[in-house]
Amino acid sequence: MSFLVLDHLRKSFGPTRVVDDFSLSVDKGEFISFLGPSGCGKTTVLRMVAGFEAPSDGRILIDGQDVTRLRPNQRQIGMVFQAYALFPNLTVAGNVGFGLRVAGVPRAARADRVAEMLALIGLPDLGGRYPWQLSGGQQQRVALARALAPSPRVLLLDEPLSALDAKIRLSLRNQIRDIQQQLGITTIFVTHDQEEALSISDRIVVMHRGIADQTGTPSDIYNHPATGFVAGFVGTLNRFSAEVVDPVAGHVRVEGADIALGRLLPPGRVTLAARPESLKVAPEGIPARITGVEFLGSVHRLRARAGGAELVLDRFNAPGEALPRPGDHVRISAAPAAWLVLPE
Amino acid sequence: MKRFWSWAAIAFGAIYFLLPLIGTIEFSLRMRRGEYSLDAYASVLADPNFRATFGYSVVMALLTILLGVLIVVPTAYWVRLRLPRLRPVIEFITLLPLVIPAIVVVFGYIRLYNTSSVLPLTGTATGTNILLLCGYAMLALPYMYRAVDTGLSTLDVRALTEAAQSLGAGWVGIIGRLILPNVLGAVMSGAFLSFAIVIGEFTMAALLNRPAFGPYMQLLGANRAYEPAALAVIAFGVTWGCMGLLQLISRLLGVRKTAT
Ligand SMILES: Nc1ncnc2c1ncn2[C@@H]1O[C@H](COP(=O)(O)OP(=O)(O)O)[C@@H](O)[C@H]1O
Ligand SMILES: [Mg+2]
Repeated sequence: MSFLVLDHLRKSFGPTRVVDDFSLSVDKGEFISFLGPSGCGKTTVLRMVAGFEAPSDGRILIDGQDVTRLRPNQRQIGMVFQAYALFPNLTVAGNVGFGLRVAGVPRAARADRVAEMLALIGLPDLGGRYPWQLSGGQQQRVALARALAPSPRVLLLDEPLSALDAKIRLSLRNQIRDIQQQLGITTIFVTHDQEEALSISDRIVVMHRGIADQTGTPSDIYNHPATGFVAGFVGTLNRFSAEVVDPVAGHVRVEGADIALGRLLPPGRVTLAARPESLKVAPEGIPARITGVEFLGSVHRLRARAGGAELVLDRFNAPGEALPRPGDHVRISAAPAAWLVLPE
Repeated sequence: MKRFWSWAAIAFGAIYFLLPLIGTIEFSLRMRRGEYSLDAYASVLADPNFRATFGYSVVMALLTILLGVLIVVPTAYWVRLRLPRLRPVIEFITLLPLVIPAIVVVFGYIRLYNTSSVLPLTGTATGTNILLLCGYAMLALPYMYRAVDTGLSTLDVRALTEAAQSLGAGWVGIIGRLILPNVLGAVMSGAFLSFAIVIGEFTMAALLNRPAFGPYMQLLGANRAYEPAALAVIAFGVTWGCMGLLQLISRLLGVRKTAT
């Protein structure tokens, strides 16, 4: 039995359906990311789990208990907001201890727990400060400690890193993952940043227009996208329009080049797609013209045009190896298994 | 030239405000023939009626503040949290006491709560006190509501509420531990304005026949020469004392006021 179950959740605001038939089972201690573009309903699902929105339909279960009708303050769920939402009248220690105070934990036990939490987030000496005396990254860590202090059953984070600058974002996301694993707390993390989701999640739910398009491990999502939307939203994708020549043997034709995929294909036309790191300049393949070369440190990024398609190819930086130059006519291919076949 | 006119405006304002005050103070010191003295003040302070009515009004003022806070803070909070579209309506309602004369309100009270009504509040002294308290709270409403609402506008009420809820807090906890402490500075400024209003209020207290400071001032003014001037100066001092206290307290609380 899964620890957290979202069972056919639906939510409409007036006539607009914002979340449709959303189901998910989360194991205890799992780290789940909701990934999707802005406005796709991630926050709404999270708020239903927290109890701030009532689902129009469906159920939410935590540890076997139906919490759908429970008020937010009875759910034992920790929540971290994008805008921190620290209590401005309380010190850092007061903020972290707030949930314990509400629960009637005696002062001494509370102080111990607050100290423990501040140590956990790496700010052991800031208990006496007020929120406005902290940087954004520090405030968000305090918000995390505050959410964790009462030992919630589930931790929810709604784009907790979006308001921070790039460097802090990177270090804090690793810290969140470390703390999550240390405590083994069941976590849902909302983000619109695919790199963030790929790097820290056990599983990712890719959302699109209120629907869960695909749920899977980061490598599943990246390597085997279930829909065109997932393929395009997660990572960069090069797409080709292909004509299926032999559905059984798995032969297609792209821009006059024959490509053998070695798998069963639907008849007619399909979209053939490949990641930038899968595409190679090769003796055989799709004819293309190089339009640009960028050096990004660990990789060279080649831009090319094949028929009407703009392509991106990433090539590991291997000093001494010859690179094509802008204007060169080349041929491009990928290993048969690296090609994704999407419905046209 | 511009400078000249701004100075002239300031001078005119100063004369407009200060001359009557100086005149009153000067007059209040002339009780003893031929020399300045504090006799009028001594006479006022020695009057047991002064002490009784002033004490009564101070207690009423404090109760008014308490009632005002209990009504206004949860209301203004709830409107911001759940009924933001009703804010203009609520704001309009809270401004009504400035538009409707107190005398109209008090006659309404007397008609509604007289001894032959369902709720005969005017039948007993306690009942009438309660009625007067409600009247005072209503008079103070515009000031209290504005102050608190302005205080709330500096907070992200919804996010703070949700954060507190997810930490297990109920409504009483949220208002008591979170909202009230965060708008305390604003509550204070509303409170002192309420105080100043109640101390000098005449119409309601007189028509409900309660022994308040306002009617006492009027009575004294009608019957004595120098004492009313002394009383006016005392009342003025009390009011300004309140304002000063207000500044002081909001500055002390301001230390913990948040930026973002
Ligand atoms: N309280 C609300 N009333 C009406 N529409 C809302 C409300 N909350 C969210 N929406 C709409 O629901 C959609 C999904 O919003 P949201 O869940 O916040 O998306 P995300 O977090 O993925 O950006 C958006 O189109 C948004 O405008
Ligand atoms: Mg959102």
